[in-house]
Amino acid sequence: MVRLGLRSVLAHRSRFVLCTVAVLLGTAFVGGAMVFTDTLSAALKKNFSGSTADITVTPVDPVGVRTGRPATLTSDTVQRIAAVPGVAGANPELLVRDVQILGADGKPTETYGLPTYGGAWPRDAATAPFRVLDGRPPWGGSQLALDQSTASREGYVVGDQVRVVTGTEAVTAELTAITSPPLSGPAAGAPLVTFDPATAQLLLLGEPGWTSVGVAVTAGSDPATVSQAITKSLGDNVQVRTADQVAAAGENALDDAFGGYSAVLVLFAGLALFVGAFLIVNTFAMLVVQRSRELAMLRAIGASRGQVTASVLVEGLVIGAIGSTLGLLLGIGVAAGIRFGYRRLDLSIPDVALQVHPGTVVACYLVGIVVTVAAAYPAARRAGRFPPMAALRDEVALPERSLLFRLAIGGFMLLMAVVLYLIGVRARGLTGAVLLAFAAAITLLGVVMTSPLVSRYAVRALMWPFGREAPVILGRRNAERNPRRTSATASALMIAVALISGLLVIAASAKASIERDITDAIGTSELVVSSDDPATFSPAVADRIGKVAGVESVHRVRQQQGKAGDRTVQVSGVSDGTLDGPITAKLDAGSLDGLGGGQALVPRTLAKTLDLSTGETFDLTTNTGRHGLTVAGILAPNRQLNAIVVSLPTYASIGGATTDSVLYVDAAPGASPAGAIRAELKDYPTIQVRDQQAYVASARGPVNVALGVIGMLLGLAILIAILGIVNTLALGVVERTREIGLLRAIGMDRPQLRRMLRVESIAICLLGALLGLAIGVVFAASVQRVMVDDGLSVLDVPVPQLLVAVLLAGAVGVLAALWPSRRAARLDVLRAIATE
Amino acid sequence: MAAGWRLVGGWLAAVRGRVGGAKEPRVDSVRRMSVAVRGSGLWKRYGSGQTQVDALADVTAEFGQGRFTAIMGPSGSGKSTLLHCLAGLDKPTAGQVFVGDLDITRLPEKQLTHLRRDRIGFVFQAFNLVPTLTALENITLPLDLAGRKFDQEWLDTVIDTIGLKDRLGHKPSELSGGQQQRVACARALAARPDVVFADEPTGNLDSRSSADVLAFLHRSVRDFGQTVVMVTHDPTAASYADRVLFLADGELRSELLDPTAESVLDTMKQLDATAAAAG
Repeated sequence: MVRLGLRSVLAHRSRFVLCTVAVLLGTAFVGGAMVFTDTLSAALKKNFSGSTADITVTPVDPVGVRTGRPATLTSDTVQRIAAVPGVAGANPELLVRDVQILGADGKPTETYGLPTYGGAWPRDAATAPFRVLDGRPPWGGSQLALDQSTASREGYVVGDQVRVVTGTEAVTAELTAITSPPLSGPAAGAPLVTFDPATAQLLLLGEPGWTSVGVAVTAGSDPATVSQAITKSLGDNVQVRTADQVAAAGENALDDAFGGYSAVLVLFAGLALFVGAFLIVNTFAMLVVQRSRELAMLRAIGASRGQVTASVLVEGLVIGAIGSTLGLLLGIGVAAGIRFGYRRLDLSIPDVALQVHPGTVVACYLVGIVVTVAAAYPAARRAGRFPPMAALRDEVALPERSLLFRLAIGGFMLLMAVVLYLIGVRARGLTGAVLLAFAAAITLLGVVMTSPLVSRYAVRALMWPFGREAPVILGRRNAERNPRRTSATASALMIAVALISGLLVIAASAKASIERDITDAIGTSELVVSSDDPATFSPAVADRIGKVAGVESVHRVRQQQGKAGDRTVQVSGVSDGTLDGPITAKLDAGSLDGLGGGQALVPRTLAKTLDLSTGETFDLTTNTGRHGLTVAGILAPNRQLNAIVVSLPTYASIGGATTDSVLYVDAAPGASPAGAIRAELKDYPTIQVRDQQAYVASARGPVNVALGVIGMLLGLAILIAILGIVNTLALGVVERTREIGLLRAIGMDRPQLRRMLRVESIAICLLGALLGLAIGVVFAASVQRVMVDDGLSVLDVPVPQLLVAVLLAGAVGVLAALWPSRRAARLDVLRAIATE
Repeated sequence: MAAGWRLVGGWLAAVRGRVGGAKEPRVDSVRRMSVAVRGSGLWKRYGSGQTQVDALADVTAEFGQGRFTAIMGPSGSGKSTLLHCLAGLDKPTAGQVFVGDLDITRLPEKQLTHLRRDRIGFVFQAFNLVPTLTALENITLPLDLAGRKFDQEWLDTVIDTIGLKDRLGHKPSELSGGQQQRVACARALAARPDVVFADEPTGNLDSRSSADVLAFLHRSVRDFGQTVVMVTHDPTAASYADRVLFLADGELRSELLDPTAESVLDTMKQLDATAAAAG
């Protein structure tokens, strides 16, 4: 039976090519994701061997976020560590992210998504988080050091003047030393600029403090014992880790940092395999029907049901194995391509060979083979059921299981989806959205199960505008002929289109919401001043803008993150009058009056979660610890201020840095000071002065990135859906060779034949596209409904884009019919008629 | 459109006739009126060298308009090949086929297709109907493909004659074998073709259904003046024809006018005996 399966694959090579391609694409993404991740982590683990301190002490970060001012240790803490027995030296270190190094042309250096770090020159090279390569230590505010790869990329040499923008200041200083990039921790491999310790504290933090302490133990001491002693001495607001623990933690941090890439690749793999599975199910179903006589003959000469089933499963196994092998190779190629790309960027990630772990190979084969065999199983089981007598009969009556069972399961699924939907719509916020997503997935499966029931009528309705000419009617009838096959083929496209249209609607709604919120929020201010990376800037900026002619007033907004209960929240400090002017804060309850007295405004969703009302007190945790705050009012949802709002003095008292995040500038009547302000801030290249429209456009940026990813998903899903349609049509042509011969004999010309197949293809595509569109749009609209307080305040259904998607589906149909119809048109009429 | 093609085709054939006139004698006007299809010096050769087979060896035959001709012969005698060549489904290795005045052996594929659609009707042994279409849709299919208006009166006459008026809305799978063949015959006649070719139309039928189909073909010739050329190996079927041609080893061996089943059988026995004596 194994040999029979192998022979069959060889004999029907061309029919299995598309199946193999589907498996290949799926496994390629799995393989690519795993190889890339393994290679990166191997490369970065190499870095961690460079971690030099025996013990590292860091402050416990109560908020656990990466933006805003980091948690710090005081010099006093450093003294206490040095005093612990067994400690040979305690060297305070400073490493802060979101700094910008400017190139010689005055523009920020390209870091390809890596954050740039600023650090303090180490007191002791032995425990420093980086190595000194060349030059003399920087001293004072006019000297600095750069990491080697940044310096070489920008062409800086020792002695050059380099401009750097930090969260508090912008300075120009002489390059006096070249260092390695940071060797450990989340900063590993990132661009780095260093100053002498005092200057670093001033420029990077705006106040004294250290982000970690590197400890060297005395000879003969056990780092673990010393580390316990330090913990005992300092209590639990610091984290004490030995070199081994640091390495392990660093690897986890890396996995987090680069997990995003893998997640996207895995998402692609999942989609490819899911859509591909439909293709495989269909192919096998059709092949088994075509070979029904041969299979029945096997039964007649004594093969058992199980043996016939096994022979078909072996075919699935072979295709799965071939597809997985090719997919694995392609995946390795993809990973190599990504790695090559990274190397070209000249980032300081160490070079290691591509890591193809046995686990990757096993995973690829497992995924590829299991999916293929599982998808082939229903057809294999049916193959075993052919009665031996079928071999002798002219036309094989297929033992089709009635649709009733399918409908029952599908109906049950739809019912479940409705129940989930109803629960989801009632549960607000993210929970509701997740429930709705589940409901959408179950609906899709339910529709896949039940669609054969309606596909006939749907196809008829859809194809009505195409007229009643003979080729159109024939094509339409072919699409109606086998509802299961049509549905399964259309399902692949339906899932793709549902996913894409849903994401499109959500993305468009997000855009529209941002626009409306900003328009609401921007109030009367003409100009918005903000900075990207570093996200904060010196308070001197606001002072300088205030002096520009034509500026009436400047409002400051400062931002950091904190924790209320177990929720991470945004905390904003605003200058007096900001909420009456540039930001129109709508309050559900309470008033703004309490702000001056140290009270806080709390956003509606947070108030609901924490069950707070006006006058009550809650705990807010920031980098400086827990602070009790009293609720002055409840804020209605507002994009600019979806945060706990306090006055600037209160903000400082709960640990906020004295750097600004956003400035709102009111111009004097008739004045337009934008140009003058830009000129004034020329030495702060990261600061952007934007009018309302430009600000909206910049806020939309991330949504546009998301749309790019949606576009790629679309491409992949549609590619596989096309493969499925091509496959169905091509096998249909083989199956109906005799019928095509007859049509040609009685006078159907080639263009008419092509048209017939094109109509069938378009019918399948439109069916899939419209079902998908309906499901996608309905669920996305519902998601917007439940997320109305969480950033999706406006529903926007991008009708033109969705129409384009439907037209595209039609075009896909035309495209998919090309190859099968060419084959059909080339059939020799006489032979086709004579075909058994 | 189709009528236009016929004109252009006829004109082309006429021009060709004039150009190549020396090779082939011109068809005189009387003949043009009475001959529906003519095969002239037809050869069909398969393979080469050792495996070379002549399925047709210099066959010349005329099929008169309004006549019902049967072609008989043992398996492998070339009778189906002859039919396919005459119908423009197959190209002879040498020789010419005229449908009316038109030499169809030189027509390009597209015009040949349109010729089959507009001027020729087909009935095959089996799988004659498109399973997705109803009986009526199958009957009008050649007309629909041509985009021609049907002659409703003619269509009604044909449908009356096949006697399946109440089954027109059914799909082929809901019809018996005999009914399917009668629908196929009706389709072949629907476009009022110059000639209907039937390839073993009763090969898969029981004797009762066979009789129905043959009676229908007979009537279409007698009552409606259609031209039918039928390949069969059944003497009873052949006896419905006006004339029987006997083929063996690719050559025309004998001809019988106004045959009966007995006379056909006798001729076949004679031919077998000659063949045995020769062998």
